[in-house]
Amino acid sequence: MNSITPASIVLLLPLFSAFTILLLHKQLKGAAALISIGSSAVCAIVAMIMLGAKDTPFGEPQHILSFIHLTDTINFDINAIIDGQSRGMLFIVTFIGFLVHLYSHGYMKDDEARPRYFGSLSMFMFSMTGIVLADNLVMMFIFWELVGLSSYLLIGHWFEKPSACDAAKKAFLTNRVGDFGFMIGILLLFGLNHGSVEFADLADSFKNGPLHDVKEHHQWVITAAALCIFMGAVGKSAQVPLHVWLPDAMEGPTPVSALIHAATMVAAGVYMLVRVSFLIGASEFAGEVIAGVGGITAIFAALMAVQQNDIKRILAYSTLSQLGYMVMAVGLGAGEAGMFHLYTHAFFKALLFLGSGAVIYACHHEQDIWKMGGLNKQTPATYITFAIGTAALIGVPFVTSGFWSKEGILGAAYEHCKILFAIGAFTAFLTAFYMTRLMIVAFLGKPRTDSASHASDPPLVMVGPLLVLSILSLTSALPIVRERLQAMVPHEHHSDAHWLIVGVSITALVAGVALAFKLYKGKDKDPLNIPLFANKFYVDEFYAGLVKYAQDRLAWIVTGLERIFVDGLIARLPAAIACRIGSAARSLQAGHLQGYTFLLGAGIVLAIYVAVFVLPRIGG
Amino acid sequence: MSAFSIEVLLALLGLAIVLAAAFLPAVSQRTLAWTGIAGSVVALLLLCGASHAESSLPAFVAPYYSLDTLSLFYKAFALVITALVLWLIAESDSTLSNYSADGKLGELVGLPLIVCTGMMWMASAKDLVTVFVSLELVTVAFYVLVAYTRKSALSLEAGVKYLILGAAATGVLVFGAAWVYGATGSLSFEGIAKGVQNAAVNKSVLLFGIAFLLAGLGFKVAAAPFHMWVPDVYQGAPTPVTAFLSVGSKASGFIVLTRVIDALLANGSRVTSEVTNLLLISAAITVLLGSLPAIFQTSVKRLLAYSSISHAGFLLLALASRSSARFDITSGGVVAFYLATYLPMTVLAFFVLCVLRRQGIGDSLDELKGLGRRSPLLALLLTIAMASLAGLPLTAGFLGKMLVFVAAVDHGYWGVIGCAVIGAAAGFYYYFKVILAIYTSEGTTEEPVTVSIASKAIATALAAIILILGLYPRPLQKVLAAPAAASVALGK
Repeated sequence: MNSITPASIVLLLPLFSAFTILLLHKQLKGAAALISIGSSAVCAIVAMIMLGAKDTPFGEPQHILSFIHLTDTINFDINAIIDGQSRGMLFIVTFIGFLVHLYSHGYMKDDEARPRYFGSLSMFMFSMTGIVLADNLVMMFIFWELVGLSSYLLIGHWFEKPSACDAAKKAFLTNRVGDFGFMIGILLLFGLNHGSVEFADLADSFKNGPLHDVKEHHQWVITAAALCIFMGAVGKSAQVPLHVWLPDAMEGPTPVSALIHAATMVAAGVYMLVRVSFLIGASEFAGEVIAGVGGITAIFAALMAVQQNDIKRILAYSTLSQLGYMVMAVGLGAGEAGMFHLYTHAFFKALLFLGSGAVIYACHHEQDIWKMGGLNKQTPATYITFAIGTAALIGVPFVTSGFWSKEGILGAAYEHCKILFAIGAFTAFLTAFYMTRLMIVAFLGKPRTDSASHASDPPLVMVGPLLVLSILSLTSALPIVRERLQAMVPHEHHSDAHWLIVGVSITALVAGVALAFKLYKGKDKDPLNIPLFANKFYVDEFYAGLVKYAQDRLAWIVTGLERIFVDGLIARLPAAIACRIGSAARSLQAGHLQGYTFLLGAGIVLAIYVAVFVLPRIGG
Repeated sequence: MSAFSIEVLLALLGLAIVLAAAFLPAVSQRTLAWTGIAGSVVALLLLCGASHAESSLPAFVAPYYSLDTLSLFYKAFALVITALVLWLIAESDSTLSNYSADGKLGELVGLPLIVCTGMMWMASAKDLVTVFVSLELVTVAFYVLVAYTRKSALSLEAGVKYLILGAAATGVLVFGAAWVYGATGSLSFEGIAKGVQNAAVNKSVLLFGIAFLLAGLGFKVAAAPFHMWVPDVYQGAPTPVTAFLSVGSKASGFIVLTRVIDALLANGSRVTSEVTNLLLISAAITVLLGSLPAIFQTSVKRLLAYSSISHAGFLLLALASRSSARFDITSGGVVAFYLATYLPMTVLAFFVLCVLRRQGIGDSLDELKGLGRRSPLLALLLTIAMASLAGLPLTAGFLGKMLVFVAAVDHGYWGVIGCAVIGAAAGFYYYFKVILAIYTSEGTTEEPVTVSIASKAIATALAAIILILGLYPRPLQKVLAAPAAASVALGK
């Protein structure tokens, strides 16, 4: 380490905290939470100070630690990229991280394993900061995996619950599929760009370097690389078809869902795609695929959200749907719009999750919205902040941040692809519908159970973060905040279509809200029953079937082939030959001195024969 | 003080210890062993401080005695292995004296120093006569050492076999030397190097002599097809002596072989392809005949004997792959590096066997079962030694093998590389069989095995060297980078 830079503080302080807590958690007990919260507070402050500077894209990488040095040309360091994108994201991660730490102090106060929780949380902060700061793909991949690990640990925090265990495993394994593609993509770029995977280098290389030539002559290789890299994002940002892990990940503690599975980690895929936007820009086809996957995820997830009854799952599907928006924007070449939505979404979705946590806390760990009701009177603070979050999510015009950022994405879609625009608009309608449904069922009407009627607002340490986040949900799209955050400012669409887009989204919003009110007002059970949506399009069942019928059959065949070819021809046959030779050679070693002497003599004769008569003929 | 005088003093110390063992019964055997260890350590320190200029040598040895980096390296090597072998002897004194003729260690403690003198002398030899004399000094002392525990039938048998086969091999070596002399008119390496370039020399006669010479040396380093003695002798000899044979005797064989090959493959040599091919053929057979029979071994000592043969094959391959452009070490340097990595792992393995023997545990795989429970430290040390012998990355053994492979690939010796890969793969099987036995199988007893603190420290240091060399071999490579200049100079 050269010197203490802001970047190194933000990166290494959480690591220090994580190690201290995880190694000493028996001794630390209560102090663990304080260490973790303290480190996240410091990081948030440093990240806030770092905001506001103007730099060029990719900036000047700051050296933090030396890492792998293979040769002079192949080396990977832990370097920090400091530019607009990373400053803004760093602030989001550390700031929401800090609020979630604070909130967790209240939410987890009865948990026996708090030190482990806070240790893992610090671990996550370290890993996520690493992704944000990464200046090359290898460093990003390492932290990418670390993020996966901390997510696994946190989802499985209550590991005595089998469902939490399964969810953690599912998240980890599903991500593995995507990460495998990501790794192949990195290796492709590593090979094509002669061993350099730094973002700045890669971007240059596309302008005038090895990658430029590849792009000219072998476009498909670039497409393959872009799609492989995208696979990483599909896993981490839970896009179709690898979206199945995110709803299950809600088994983790709610603050974790807010921080990791809504605001930050799942957005890492989008962040990474924007980082490599030069790559996506280089392949039209890859861009189309990415946009398509994003659009499909957006609408499918929204449809599934319509029929969920678990408050956290509704939010989880809504996260999927919003991530779909972002990915769609990136695929359409409007990375700024995607990043902008990422920023605003991070605030209001964290708010919604923390709000749902407050609801769950108030209702004694009840998550079914049909067992709530009337909470607007019992928990007014939660109700108001949750309503603000909902407003931002459904994009109430002009006053919420969500409206502006969704505008940007819809604008980009309208410009490039009308079908995606239609999908986006319909998703907006669905979003308004299912969120209003959630509000009506959970907060309005009469309490349906005892726990709902005795609910009360949580302590200040939990309400505080809600208030801060609701302010940001309303204001984060205002130019003054936006510039501070350095959200990449989307192109202004003051074309003719601008008012059309605004009109369409307002129509979608009003229609969704109105329909929800009409259907759900005063209802005690769900009037709609669409098994296809409720069962999440049977994707999980499809995968289970795939495993059962296809993979098991395939495994059976592969086992057979392995028995014959790998076991038999590749392992057993050479082994048998080796054993034969070995035992033959061993039988020479019978221990008879005469025999040995004879062999010694024979060997010498052989050596002489070979040396004098054979080799001079064949050798030059 | 010159390196030469150190050797003389060492020989005198060896004699003194032998005499003390005979005439001063009051002095304990362990004391004598530790005196020997102290002597070799002091000699090592003196060697480091001694003048390395050839002008420091007495006039009557100077013509026969070289002091280049390679010879200094092998001298230090000889001292280190001697000290370690004496430590092994001290460690297993009770076992050994049970089987010796008079119930004492006696010469077993003094002779290694004399062997060491021979090995050090051999490292400096400039001609075949010096080689012969010093080689015989080593070999004759070894005849005694191998058969020292005469009450054990195995040891006696090993001694007899080693004596008869060794004598035959020596005869072959001298015969070959005579033919080479006849062909080239010189016994010095320099003269031979000139002779092989001389078009007037009868090539068939020369090759005839070279074949004998290489066969004789091949016997010493356990190269196929002259390796048959190895398993029996290694198994029968007292374990410390086996370690000595396996490391010391092999190293001294290889320094001579390095010198001889350097001379025979000097630039412009007319027998380059023949000698290289002989080496390659022998290397291929050696690796296979060392590795494949090892698969069946149930005695760890015998397994290590086969392993020693297989390693000799790798060393021959290294010797045949002349200097590679990829690194600054010549083939002689690669051989030296390989031996330097081979030393700690082999000694460590034999150390564990010695300690177990003292506790009445034999060397069969069955008896090693459950060692992981009985002595976690010994089990770990043996694991490190075996992993390194197999060539697992991050251990010293891996780097040795890697250098050999890289050099051979540079020369495109694909056939031999194929055999070497088979050998290395088989190695993973039989070395890991040992690791498997010590950890996964239940032993018949869980009685702990005790090890003295000093021995623990030395053994742990050896294990540490294996791991450090595996991670950071640069210092050793730097030491060996210099002999490049020396042996190339000889070639020119």
